[in-house]
Amino acid sequence: MLPPFELLEPHSLDQALKMLATSESVPLAGGTNLLPDLRARGEAGGRFISLAALDQLHGIEHSDSRVLMGARTTLSDILHDPLMPTAAPSLVSMAKVFAGSMVRNAATVAGNICYGSPSADVVPPLLSLDAELTLASAAGERTLSLNDFLLDYKKTARRPDELLISVSWAPPTTGTANLFYKLGRRRGDAITVVGVAVTITIEKGNCTKARIALGSVAPTVFRAQEAEEALVGGPLTATTIGTAAQAAAQASRPIDDIRASADYRRHAVHMLVRRLLTEAWQTAGSQHD
Amino acid sequence: MNRIESPAASTANLQLRQVGKPLVRTDSPTKVYGTAVYAGDLTMPGMLCAAVLHSDRASALLRHVDTSRAEALAGVHCVLTAADLPPSQGVMTDMPGQTGGLTKNTKQPILAKDRVRFCGEPIALVAAENAAIAEQALRLIDIEYEDLDGIYDPFDALAPGAPIIFGDDNVVASYKVRKGDIEKGFAEADFIVENTFTTQYQEQAFLEPEAALAWVDEHEVLNIRSSTQVVEHYRAVADAIGLPHNRVRLRAEFVGGGFGGKEVMTIEVWLALLALASRRPVQLVQPRERSFLSHGPRHPFTMTHRTGVSGDGKITALQIKLTSDAGAYAKLSPYILLYATVGATGPYRVDNLHIDSVSAATNNLPACAFRGFGTMQANLACEGQMEEIAKLLGMDSMEVRRRNFIHTGDANVTGQIIRSAVWSDQCATQALATLGERPTDTQTTRIGHGVACYQQSYGRIRWMKDSSEAWVGVEMDGTVIVRSAVTDIGAGQSSALAQITGEILGVPMDQVVVYFGDGAVTPLAGTSTASRALYMSGNATKMAASQVRKNLLSCVAGYFGVKIEQLDMCDSQVFIIDDPQRSIALKDCVKLCAAEGVHRHNLAIFRAPTSEGIDPETGQGEVFPDFTYGAHAAQVAVDIETGEVKVLKSIGAHDVGQAINLRAVEGQVEGSALMGQGFALCEELILKQGRLQTGSLSEYLIPTSEDVPEIKAIVLESRSGLGPFGAKGIGEPVYAPVAASIANAVADAIGVHIFELPITPEKVIKALREKESTK
Repeated sequence: MLPPFELLEPHSLDQALKMLATSESVPLAGGTNLLPDLRARGEAGGRFISLAALDQLHGIEHSDSRVLMGARTTLSDILHDPLMPTAAPSLVSMAKVFAGSMVRNAATVAGNICYGSPSADVVPPLLSLDAELTLASAAGERTLSLNDFLLDYKKTARRPDELLISVSWAPPTTGTANLFYKLGRRRGDAITVVGVAVTITIEKGNCTKARIALGSVAPTVFRAQEAEEALVGGPLTATTIGTAAQAAAQASRPIDDIRASADYRRHAVHMLVRRLLTEAWQTAGSQHD
Repeated sequence: MNRIESPAASTANLQLRQVGKPLVRTDSPTKVYGTAVYAGDLTMPGMLCAAVLHSDRASALLRHVDTSRAEALAGVHCVLTAADLPPSQGVMTDMPGQTGGLTKNTKQPILAKDRVRFCGEPIALVAAENAAIAEQALRLIDIEYEDLDGIYDPFDALAPGAPIIFGDDNVVASYKVRKGDIEKGFAEADFIVENTFTTQYQEQAFLEPEAALAWVDEHEVLNIRSSTQVVEHYRAVADAIGLPHNRVRLRAEFVGGGFGGKEVMTIEVWLALLALASRRPVQLVQPRERSFLSHGPRHPFTMTHRTGVSGDGKITALQIKLTSDAGAYAKLSPYILLYATVGATGPYRVDNLHIDSVSAATNNLPACAFRGFGTMQANLACEGQMEEIAKLLGMDSMEVRRRNFIHTGDANVTGQIIRSAVWSDQCATQALATLGERPTDTQTTRIGHGVACYQQSYGRIRWMKDSSEAWVGVEMDGTVIVRSAVTDIGAGQSSALAQITGEILGVPMDQVVVYFGDGAVTPLAGTSTASRALYMSGNATKMAASQVRKNLLSCVAGYFGVKIEQLDMCDSQVFIIDDPQRSIALKDCVKLCAAEGVHRHNLAIFRAPTSEGIDPETGQGEVFPDFTYGAHAAQVAVDIETGEVKVLKSIGAHDVGQAINLRAVEGQVEGSALMGQGFALCEELILKQGRLQTGSLSEYLIPTSEDVPEIKAIVLESRSGLGPFGAKGIGEPVYAPVAASIANAVADAIGVHIFELPITPEKVIKALREKESTK
């Protein structure tokens, strides 16, 4: 059973930030990670700040140059947003296979990011889109890249007094493919064994930008930058794709656990990166043909 | 949905008005509307909440258990440890049937005393004002352990010099089958194929965990309302705590899934003790993580088949070794091993046969009953071996099966002659045909088709002398009551009795009310296990209803001046068959009976065929009443880069004898398709030094709604079974071939068999790499 815990329920962002500054507390959004953790610990928990009433954190705004997503956006909101399939194709692919529909209705983008889990499915797509995060505290706001936000296993750059309030990124340009694949042990409600997101931009037959983000194969979700570099500057060929896939596998630092061995995870990274890059090259290339 | 009826069936001309039809089950509306009451929904004034402390060591001495801090906590009413228990110091974990016979060494401590033998063994019970206080009290119980060496592998347990956990040698049970001349059989073989198959622990993962409420009533009767498959456990509760049998009343509520996990007693005796100690009603609903520890999962098996085959695919000799991990206590392991032994050759006739089977004790979770009860593990090896034989011979595997199928009139493993229909070939052929064309392979996916047949018993072991009673009566307004202590574990057990009674008495099914599952006031019906509930209670109910029908018709026959045979009953009317205008309403017929002092009710007992056991040296003898046969076929897509397996189609084709409720049969097939898929691909209780690593539903992976393939049920009806109207048991049988069909489909897709379940993506990749390196 869920042990007792204290719940603060601010009505405004200012009030929430004041509470965060003055009390040792953890922001609670969908609760799909924090509450099972509390239940598993079995001991009376600390203090949570509910974000339920903070309307400022809801909503998705699209402009030509930027997508701005409120931190309390749920996974279901992503699926219901009509512009999202073009604004972040990988994010939509991810949301479709994120847990199951009940969890999708509760789990939030910010919660998934701030929990800092290496298997956080929201992160690889956003990382592959160069997403930026805006954090607010009573002292003011700051914006940093998602890449800089992720520090280590369940460790992020968020200070205890800060609240992640929004996520933003530039929507993919023409000639860009943005793909995601989740490898799990079953189709619904699975913790990811390997998650891969890639973004590839092709201009005049050459790859001008590559992003490869890998989940569940290191203490944190990370970008395989060496693999990315192997792709930029020319067309993607079986050779360059193979080199990049190999580099991505080598950059992975997976562990053995109940879901899979490290060895298998590295193999899967190799295969999936190769597959997604091949598909991305075909998709992005065809947009120009 | 296809239905094939046998023209040769003994009751082929019987006109059935309700039986076999997909009628709405009597329990469906209440479950759909959410009004059905389960044991965890019950509440009483003054009710306390219980919590159980389970050992977190697998093998240790209990140096000291100090409950003083827990007892001092406000709101705690009682804390019980082994020191507080009555002297019997144990609870029966056997299934004595209706006669009380027990296998040896099946008592298990109610609470651990002096030492713990598995991680999860119960040590202390708490009853408190609410669940939060009860949980807090658990944390205040201080335990001092002294760790002991443990054994976590059945082969280690059987090795010389192993620490002894059970009996003299850690052997919980063993069987031998010696049939024909195996040397001669191998000498005649053109090929010998040997393979070893292994299966994993599987958790029942019922939706509803263990739940019960117990209290002592104003007559000093201990009442328990529980989620159980067996109300006869009231006797075991009484014996364990030293009460007369007639002072314990156990009632089964609707059960939210049993699958064998609620066959042996789970939490009832704990609540009985707490209710007696606290003199208050006490309820427990096990949290999921403790539910994993509170019943017994499916036994892991290691199975080696050494098969001699002639060039034309005929089995000339078969030597089988079966080893199961019983865990720390016997529970039903001896019976489960017997089922595996009898099922070891699947639906095939093998004249030269050696089987050696053993179940060994370890410090792992005690394994117990789970749908299929050992047969399905044994069948998996058998059906995998069929594919390997076919591959070696370059034959179609169905053709190899056809050359070896057992037929009606043949002797099975134990020399028992099969009397009912054996439609293995028809079922397998139809299931495979229903898979249809294979989608084409892509660059990274390979499509595979697989089939598996089986032989699974229904009804309990003959020397248990099984019986079931049922009472049927007609009220003065023509409505009908059935009383049976059958437990309704979600497969339509009580609804089937209404449908059978409605058929016999000619009343619509919704005019029949079934009172079920009460160990004190409904006639005892035996367990809802062993695919026996419909077979046994269906027969008893049919017998009782038929007697009532006879009584009623005899009155009407006199009234119309005709013979009983000239009358029929339908739509709550009794009418003359050749002159249907001459009829009488059932309620008026009942009045006639009442006026003449004729019984409008009947209590019947159905007794299953019995025998006295098997020869210990040869394993020969009659073990079961009868067997069900059928097949399952699967179409899978395997990603050869990642090893992921997706089941695309899952087809069950079974000779069910006679469907009582067609929709219920389809439900069984559909459920089994997913449960078998889980066993084949993703479900596994992983234990590390006896400690459960996958003790939650996010780590123990049952298929979800998103993993459901296209499922079809093909129902064949030979009307040759021992159940009512020729029905056979189907609850376990439909499950028996599923995992094997998926394993065979994967092998078909990638060209190499994976001998170890579950078939994880990782194992697929490993198998593909090994295949590549041996090229």
